[in-house]
Amino acid sequence: MGDKPIWEQIGSSFIQHYYQLFDNDRTQLGAIYIDASCLTWEGQQFQGKAAIVEKLSSLPFQKIQHSITAQDHQPTPDSCIISMVVGQLKADEDPIMGFHQMFLLKNINDAWVCTNDMFRLALHNFG
Amino acid sequence: MSDGDYDYLIKFLALGDSGVGKTSVLYQYTDGKFNSKFITTVGIDFREKRVVYRASGPDGAVGRGQRIHLQLWDTAGQERFRSLTTAFFRDAMGFLLLFDLTNEQSFLNVRNWISQLQMHAYCDSPDIVLCGNKSDLEDQRVVKEEEARALAEKYGVPYFETSAANGTNISPAIEALLDLIMKRMERCVDKSWIPEGVVRSNGHTAADQHGEERKGGCSC
Repeated sequence: MGDKPIWEQIGSSFIQHYYQLFDNDRTQLGAIYIDASCLTWEGQQFQGKAAIVEKLSSLPFQKIQHSITAQDHQPTPDSCIISMVVGQLKADEDPIMGFHQMFLLKNINDAWVCTNDMFRLALHNFG
Repeated sequence: MSDGDYDYLIKFLALGDSGVGKTSVLYQYTDGKFNSKFITTVGIDFREKRVVYRASGPDGAVGRGQRIHLQLWDTAGQERFRSLTTAFFRDAMGFLLLFDLTNEQSFLNVRNWISQLQMHAYCDSPDIVLCGNKSDLEDQRVVKEEEARALAEKYGVPYFETSAANGTNISPAIEALLDLIMKRMERCVDKSWIPEGVVRSNGHTAADQHGEERKGGCSC
């Protein structure tokens, strides 16, 4: 694994972990957020682990599947990692839709947590 | 196939909470044919159906049938993510607003959907038909018919209890919506206020003078 920069390795393992939790049991996602974390979900703001988990858990679908098309990671000057994901998802029996998601990861007490999370469906029906 | 051989193109949008059965209702109406066309970039799924509309005049006389090309728009489920953009509403001419008779919350949300429509549809009193769906699940019903009728009456919209499972009242509901729209068009001398591209009139009023040669296979 020597070739890949460390932020790529951390970023991509975070992404894998995140969507695995999301698709299997999204109530467990609290583990990756802290009380200062922010989530912007389709333009709606949520702050704090509890509010974020409540939002994600209450999304009205039973099953969800994410498929990652591409991901990019960069180190920031203050030693965080910023990650962007482009992918597709399928909720229950609905048609497949594209989405974008962005994460800011920070190392706190030797653990990586997500301090910022932004999600948008890739829909362009602005008329 | 949407060849151009029709008098009007009319777009309906099915709305309501996720899980109320919008897709199933449209599927049932289009004879169970899986002919939907999904446009991924905009998250719109639509089905089409040709119908003939016969207006009954005030004297009860039935006029010449008008060929309607109905486009039934459905969402891709983005309302689960809270991202039904309001642009979605703007292009539709009529709205089939559904709730689930076995889900109280979907009924309570009807007023939210209506206020969204009043704000973002092409006008502040768009044509709406309210449908209480899943009427076949009588033993799980939590919304009383009287309650739903009272709400529909408050908003001045027709109400139907439908079942996508067995087909009950689906055609009547959609036909009622078509009837409202055709009546609105007749009332309206100046059709320029209708959102562009929503209604395509092939000059039916003018056709009374010109005959029908100009439609279909027109050489111009």
